[in-house]
Amino acid sequence: MNTVVEVRGLRKQYGHRTVVDGVDLDVAEGEIVGLLGANGAGKTTTVEILQGLRRADGGSMRVLGLDPAVDGQRLRTMVGSQQQESALPDRLRVGEAIALFRGPRSAPVDGLLAAFGLAGHRRTAFSALSGGQRQRLFLVLALLNRPHLVVLDELTQGLDPAARRDVWDAIRALRDGGTTVLLVTHYMDEAEALCDRVVVMREGRVVDAGTPTALVDRHAPWATVRFTPPSTSDPVDWRAVPGVHGVERDGDVVLVHGDRTAVAYVCAELVRSGPVPTDLAVLMPDLEAALITLLTPGETR
Amino acid sequence: MMSTLDTHGGTNGSARTASPAVILGRLIGTELRLVLREPLVLAFVFAFPVVTVLVIAGSFAAEDAPDFFGVEPAQWYVASYLAVVIAAIGLVMVPVHVASYRERGVLRRFAAAGFPRWSFAVASIIVGVVLTVVASAVMLAVAAPLYGLPPVERPLWTVAGGLAGAVAFTSIGLLIGSLVPTARAAQAVGLLAFFPSFLLGGGGPPPDVMGDGLRRMADFLPLTHVTEAVRDPWLGLGTGAADLAVVLAVLVVSALGWWRAVRL
Repeated sequence: MNTVVEVRGLRKQYGHRTVVDGVDLDVAEGEIVGLLGANGAGKTTTVEILQGLRRADGGSMRVLGLDPAVDGQRLRTMVGSQQQESALPDRLRVGEAIALFRGPRSAPVDGLLAAFGLAGHRRTAFSALSGGQRQRLFLVLALLNRPHLVVLDELTQGLDPAARRDVWDAIRALRDGGTTVLLVTHYMDEAEALCDRVVVMREGRVVDAGTPTALVDRHAPWATVRFTPPSTSDPVDWRAVPGVHGVERDGDVVLVHGDRTAVAYVCAELVRSGPVPTDLAVLMPDLEAALITLLTPGETR
Repeated sequence: MMSTLDTHGGTNGSARTASPAVILGRLIGTELRLVLREPLVLAFVFAFPVVTVLVIAGSFAAEDAPDFFGVEPAQWYVASYLAVVIAAIGLVMVPVHVASYRERGVLRRFAAAGFPRWSFAVASIIVGVVLTVVASAVMLAVAAPLYGLPPVERPLWTVAGGLAGAVAFTSIGLLIGSLVPTARAAQAVGLLAFFPSFLLGGGGPPPDVMGDGLRRMADFLPLTHVTEAVRDPWLGLGTGAADLAVVLAVLVVSALGWWRAVRL
């Protein structure tokens, strides 16, 4: 598989403040890779450097085979970009924005506008669009010229849940079409839903990278089994069950915390002890829990 | 919501956006359309010179008018007010427009879309020149029935002065808009530059009624030289070559300034 983005030791300073500090990053063709981290982690600066919009202070990089510092202008014609905190002129209409940004080999505009729910808005001014419609227009513009790589920075910020889901569907459709996507976000659910791999940044450095599942396994390797024991079942010393680290009670409800192996042992013990509970639930940590552990100093479970 | 989108471009290294010339043409068309949708900007650029030329030319057209180098006072002002149009566009309209684009990330969006770095600035200059021509025509059309239009004695020098002035002042506007932090700051700086330039540089009282200090101050204002580079050849008072040279110098310095400062 071709490598679309290859970055080694990327560094960027503003004055004496280092905002990107030795970042390595690889994105293969057809992947959706998420760049995650808290605000100020250096994510946006990194992707701006990769598009040649800012100059790096050190490191090497190739994006679509080009060096953004040297061939930024050419590179930007090949990358579809949705940027954080950027807008269009208030009085510019949707159709005019399309006409302004459209290249000679653009995707079919009618289909693209229809796919993003903007088909009836060609004559609507940018200022009259809702937040969700604006974001969808930015996505249309990012995809308009059939880019080799799409960079999406905080695409769903400020959207309501329904609009976010619509945008997620659009990005999944992109992946199905084979487009490579570099997604900057601080929404963990978004990364978990969309990304093949995530790269986690803190204070300008990459602190871990892998599939969302691998990150959860590494940094949140626990599980919780929740149930209400039937009154006729035998009493069990849950703390003695293999893999169990702790037990909580909330009224009649029992919460057994442990590592992933504990789930099977707890369930086996429930079967052995009598009638099985009817409300059994296994609570698995998500990417957010993993990243809280990873990004919060001293945070453990 | 959707199945596969027909947007995938593969990974071969060919550009996907329009050519620089096409982008420039589209930016010019877009910017002109957007200006037509800004009624307040249009009112200032088109109405302010018209209203003030009528008032000022009417005020100084009396029998006991100060010396206008032997020229009919009203015609002196009609020839001078092209520079007021140029200043209104360059010092009031352009800085706010550019700063607003910078503040809202519009220029960054243009850059990310692969628009050449020079394209927005060049489009702004062309739009500035087009607006100068149209607003000047409106001003002359209103003034002509009242005061008559003075014959253009040296047309090439006059056009050169007007063109250089329009480009230089749009360049100054680009520079101001590129340096100030916000659109509001651009408005403040632009108006602060505009009104002294307007009053001392050609649109205000005639030089004869200004004191030496004010006249010396006026000599340092770029608009004074634009006014003279247009008015002198128009009214046959000279070629305006020295003033044109100053205007061209202002143009080069301000263009170098925005070339360094404008970050698409």
